[in-house]
Amino acid sequence: MGLVRLLRSSIARVAVLHGLVLAAAMIAVLSGVYIATDRLIANEGDQLISIELQNLTESFKNLDAEAFVATIVDRADDPWIRGGVYELHGPRGDFLAGNVVVLSDLKTPPGEWTEFEVADTNNDTDLSRQIRAKVEDLGGGYHLLVGHDVQDRRAFKTVMLHSVIWAVLATLLFGVIGGWWLARRISRTAKAISSSAARIALGNLTERLPLSGNGDEIDTLVSQFNELLARVDTLTTTLRAVLDSTAHDLRGHLNRIRGAAQDASLKATSPEETSAVTLVLTEIDRLSDTLQGLLRIALAESGTVPLERVDLSAITADLVEFYQPVASQPLQADITPSLWVRGHRQLLTQALSNALDNALKYGRGSTVSIRLVRHEQHALLTISDQGPGIPAEQREWAKQRFRRLPGSSGLPGSGLGLSLIAAVARLHQAELNLQDAEPGLALCLSLPLSHE
Amino acid sequence: MNILLVEDDRRASEFLSQGLRALGHQVEQRFDGEAGLKAAMQGQYDVLLLDRMLPKLDGLDVVKRLRGIGNDTPTLILSALDEVDERVQGLRAGGDDYLAKPYHLEELTARLEALTRRKGASSLNDRLKLADLELDARARKVTRGGKKIDLTTREFQLLEFLMRHARQVVTRTMILEGVWDYHFDPKTNVIDVHISRLRQAIDKDFTVQLLHTVRGAGYTLSEDP
Repeated sequence: MGLVRLLRSSIARVAVLHGLVLAAAMIAVLSGVYIATDRLIANEGDQLISIELQNLTESFKNLDAEAFVATIVDRADDPWIRGGVYELHGPRGDFLAGNVVVLSDLKTPPGEWTEFEVADTNNDTDLSRQIRAKVEDLGGGYHLLVGHDVQDRRAFKTVMLHSVIWAVLATLLFGVIGGWWLARRISRTAKAISSSAARIALGNLTERLPLSGNGDEIDTLVSQFNELLARVDTLTTTLRAVLDSTAHDLRGHLNRIRGAAQDASLKATSPEETSAVTLVLTEIDRLSDTLQGLLRIALAESGTVPLERVDLSAITADLVEFYQPVASQPLQADITPSLWVRGHRQLLTQALSNALDNALKYGRGSTVSIRLVRHEQHALLTISDQGPGIPAEQREWAKQRFRRLPGSSGLPGSGLGLSLIAAVARLHQAELNLQDAEPGLALCLSLPLSHE
Repeated sequence: MNILLVEDDRRASEFLSQGLRALGHQVEQRFDGEAGLKAAMQGQYDVLLLDRMLPKLDGLDVVKRLRGIGNDTPTLILSALDEVDERVQGLRAGGDDYLAKPYHLEELTARLEALTRRKGASSLNDRLKLADLELDARARKVTRGGKKIDLTTREFQLLEFLMRHARQVVTRTMILEGVWDYHFDPKTNVIDVHISRLRQAIDKDFTVQLLHTVRGAGYTLSEDP
């Protein structure tokens, strides 16, 4: 099981692959060398025999039969070629001289090569020697066989084969080790990058990815990524600044208008004036509420608010207790204690308050239940009512700004509640789902847990 | 109340000081941070009303400098910036309270009242008393006319908050912030429901009603109707 898991890691895969590729290359190179060398040795041996045969053919022409037989006898006793064999047959096919007796059995036609085995006479063992030989017709019925031992060639082959195996195994081993080292280096860099990226994704745009400093391709990639981050940081900062100055400006205007209206209300002399000014004040308040809502959404979406570890269970329990008295049916709460997440307490509280408020409002007096449980590495919060719910095709639409569901015109609200929840969910890297609670609507929020 | 108002928006400053004067307060106006700091250091004011963003010297810097020289005049910071994190910064700089623009005059005066009173009354006192209503913060015990009253934890906190601001108007926002630490408007009458539950608990069996609603502003805990 451990091995399977190990092989699944990219480091191990790269290491094994690296080793295998190197070993394959080694096999290809060494096989080439092996085949070429083998051929070279074989040619050299055959050439030696051909030359010896040529020499002896010459001698046969120059000597008489007896002297030639003596030459062969000498050669057979003390071969010029290492491991050489000789056999001379007379015109009647009779054995005249030599250190092997094979010619009559072989029936090899003159000019042809042959291979055979002979018993090793040097040792007492029953080992045999592999011989490669050529037969020549000397003329006048004389046939001569000259050959030599290819044992050396075989021994060479064996040594060569062993060397190849060892070389390949060593290459495989060093290849795996080298690959492991290489992959680990890359993987460490990748891990450093990904953990930095994760922190950056959480909103810390001032962080930069670490450079190794050796100016390789990874460094180039990292520095380009850092440039990209700087650009995003600048854009976000600019956006936030625009947001802040717009907010500041609009609030300043609203404040002056409200001051003027308040002033007018203090100086109002008739009931008509009073009611007119009151209407203006109400509208200003509504406008500033909407502005406030939009700014909160923009703030959450800018991702520039600092997050800290907060106890989601405590926040939820407090909200349940807060809303309990206004619920016509008691709220049903099932809250797993001490689920901590990285979040912005105020924005998170406001978003959950909106969710609870919606459930109480749209649930129309039905039972509202709040469930907070741990699901793997997430805190799963579900707020459901038994009201009319939202049709599946309208759920995404409902998350947008200023969307109000049909039939909600009699209820208070600005149409920003659910969009704030969606924006706050994004800020917290949480998944927001609107589901059918059969009947009613279930709002599910899945937030990554924070461990410290 | 003797108020120093430092606000660079002249029209807003005008409307605000008129409103405050109409309620019987004395208001002195300054229009930039330096002049504001100088006035605050020289004069004797009950409370300082400081805009967050001021020319020459930032509102937060004015508070920091004042606190630096040991001047602890209660200070309310007014700001047109979103209060989500600004508020924390304002309080950290030494401000005593924070109010976002646009504000209601009633909200502003209630907070000014709370700030000036807070200085006199010991806020660390554990035994609070109003008429025959007594609250022991340490023992978490409430009695009225010697009779024990059972409250939930939150009702107790709500009552404690109201008693620490006895005979003052407290707004719904002040209650939300002071008791729940919620800095948003829940848009429903939740606070009213919590108050009426508390009223049930402390006033129901008694002839003298202590917890009163102040129309258009909030609530007050007082023996006088």
